[in-house]
Amino acid sequence: MKGLAPLFLGIFGTFAFSWVGLTVIPNWQIGHLNPQSDEEGTDIYPQPQSGMFERGARVYVANGCVYCHSEQVRPDYAGADIERGWGNRRSAPRDYIFERQVLLGKMRMGQDLANIGARAPAGQASPLPAGAAAPAGPAGGTSPAASPAPQGAASAASPSAKQSPSSSPPAQAASPATAGSPSVATSPAAVAASPATSPGSSPPTAAAPAGPQTGVGAPWPIQTVGEPAMYSAAWHHVHLYSPRSINVDSNMPSYRFLYEKRRTHEQRSADALKLTGADAPPEGWEIVPTYDAKCLVAYMMALNQSHPLKDVSSVSGAPATPAGAASPAPSPVPAK
Amino acid sequence: MNATATGIPLKEPAVSAVAGDTEQLERAYIDASTRVPVLMFYTSAMAWLILGTLLAGFVSFKLHEPDLLSNISFLTWGRVRPAHMNVMVYGWASMAGMGTAIWLMARLCRTVLRYPLLLVAGACLWNLGVFLGVCGIVLGDSTGYQWLEFPRYAAIILFVAYTLVASWAVLMFRYRRGEQIYITQWYLLGAFLWFPWLYAAGQLMLFAVPVQGVLQTAVGWWYANNLLFLWFGAIALGTAYYMIPKVIGRPVYSYHLATIGFWTYALFSSWTGMQRLIDGPFPAWMITASIAATILTMIPVATVGLNHHMTMQGYFPLMRYSPTLRFTVFGAMSYTVFSVVGLLISLRSVASYVNFTQASIAYSHLGLYAFFTMVIFGSMYYIVPRLVGREWRYASLIKLHFWASAYGIGLMTLMLLVGGFSQGSSMENPTLAFSESVETVLPYLRGRSLAGLLLTASHFIFAYHFGLMLLGLGRTSTVPTFLNPVEAETSGGH
Repeated sequence: MKGLAPLFLGIFGTFAFSWVGLTVIPNWQIGHLNPQSDEEGTDIYPQPQSGMFERGARVYVANGCVYCHSEQVRPDYAGADIERGWGNRRSAPRDYIFERQVLLGKMRMGQDLANIGARAPAGQASPLPAGAAAPAGPAGGTSPAASPAPQGAASAASPSAKQSPSSSPPAQAASPATAGSPSVATSPAAVAASPATSPGSSPPTAAAPAGPQTGVGAPWPIQTVGEPAMYSAAWHHVHLYSPRSINVDSNMPSYRFLYEKRRTHEQRSADALKLTGADAPPEGWEIVPTYDAKCLVAYMMALNQSHPLKDVSSVSGAPATPAGAASPAPSPVPAK
Repeated sequence: MNATATGIPLKEPAVSAVAGDTEQLERAYIDASTRVPVLMFYTSAMAWLILGTLLAGFVSFKLHEPDLLSNISFLTWGRVRPAHMNVMVYGWASMAGMGTAIWLMARLCRTVLRYPLLLVAGACLWNLGVFLGVCGIVLGDSTGYQWLEFPRYAAIILFVAYTLVASWAVLMFRYRRGEQIYITQWYLLGAFLWFPWLYAAGQLMLFAVPVQGVLQTAVGWWYANNLLFLWFGAIALGTAYYMIPKVIGRPVYSYHLATIGFWTYALFSSWTGMQRLIDGPFPAWMITASIAATILTMIPVATVGLNHHMTMQGYFPLMRYSPTLRFTVFGAMSYTVFSVVGLLISLRSVASYVNFTQASIAYSHLGLYAFFTMVIFGSMYYIVPRLVGREWRYASLIKLHFWASAYGIGLMTLMLLVGGFSQGSSMENPTLAFSESVETVLPYLRGRSLAGLLLTASHFIFAYHFGLMLLGLGRTSTVPTFLNPVEAETSGGH
């Protein structure tokens, strides 16, 4: 070959061709999607995510969860994702438009997490109902907020959550009512009550009846007696802290560095982990999640693609739930 | 032809038919001028290779022994794994590849290396960038995009460092002597120009002006795949096009085949990448286009493979003696294996099994190790003696290095591929609990760790040998170190 010009032009041309073809044109095609809504302009899906979600995603990335967990459900003609109960429909580009960083993943040494939030027990599916909602302020994470209420972390919000099932469709203002609450978040009473006391704007995500039904396939791992309800926030914390206490065969690393061991003050904190056996801290000590751990769990609890999409058909059995009931995203907790 | 000491001739390929004494002298002079920068790149690369190998072993063992040191945040699996990948990609592979490319550039432009300070500064900055990036990853600052995990501060340093090296390459091109541009130079010039565009495009579309939603993943895989082909693949193919004819002293079989191979390679391999997103939330045409491109990459595979094969025809017995040839031919053959495996796992029917399994790890290792790294090892066996003025000290160490590497990567690929397929078939069977699929693959992962031990041994052997060369402890001889004693047997006519 002679001359630099043809060589250079060819090198540049092939690269530009690929760049335009595989990034620019797709960006023009699906790079500017909007949320969908019904005829009245309500039932908007998806919705913007909370600050805890964003930070939880950062924790997820920082600790490399993405190298073992995917967040995408494949269509029914490819793979058994839907039969496994990982979702009731395939994932679509629109599901991800509000995620600052999309973590589709390329490996499944662990389960798919695209709908992990939808698998939470009913009444728990709210992104951050109980333990997770409490710490909205940094204070909750570190101070040993003495909690007189004998509530377990898992069950804290469930009674109240049930009272606000499908109130109003979620306006985009998902959080204003609770925006005031972080100031009082250190008070456990206020925390437990907050979903109920914010009737108008507490998003109806609080109850997602669709959740459990999506689990059609063989449940994994198996719910053990004495442990927090599977896929509840408290369960996630125990699982992150000690994966093999939940499933002996798991090869997930433990993330103990996201938890803090501290002395109990008078009573156990509301968000202390309910650990058994060798994992249990000695008498007078408790294991509590750091704020990062709470964000990570909040992130997972908000991963939910069970809302039907117009251009994707859902599998029957997990039908279109009452308007807004399965709306996944908005968290009642303001970004902090 | 006699395979005596001089039976492995050192003639210029194609470019110059006559190799006189003056040219020998001139070449020695050019080699001497590349000494400092190239050795800087090589030495840094070796250090990163050792670090990356240790990290790899750690990652591999932790995958089946999850409680190993898991309570320390910066040693958690999810941080060590990207640290390992990036050390290997940017520390070892990129630096060693640049070292070889710089040396080849000087030789093929037939001019002494000018502006060595550009390269020295480039190497220092690059090391700094990789160091900061790896620290950032283990401290929890990873960006989470495959092969782009380095946080932004490290990425900027890398880019500046790279700009220095690439501008050197362009400057050298201006000083070249002779009208012909040899095949190797096409690939090298391509690699030198593609990488910065690619890196800049990736950084821009993911971090500066991030694209929306799932397109981030598409851009990420587009980057990773093109890095593999247009940066590492191009350097390795260019190196093979130089080393094979050089060592056997015979011109490349066909220039026309080489031209076809180069342009189809540039055109088709750059369009692959989206096949990794198969069945994902993307427009089907993107994935189909990449699958089609993957099928079309069989054209460059066939032409390049045929060209190398025909060049080697009748000279294969020389692999018994020349370390360079043995490593390079292994790498060139692995290019075919790598491409064929890449094609198989991207077909839709197969991909639905292996999409989310260890098979994709096998694919990356085939490309980055069996193909690229082996070619670069070969080139280092050729180049380092010419820089330090000594010959490799122990043929036995070279042989050990080769066999440990070859068996190591072979076993690793096998384990990950077979493990990936069985993992996939368990995963696709919804009557089995998901944990079954993990159980299925664990024995293979233990086998992979064993393969990793072989590779670790091979890298330590090579690093030791390389260290001896650096310290001037090589043999003083005019005859290169052969793997086996060169008997007076005839090797021609086989």
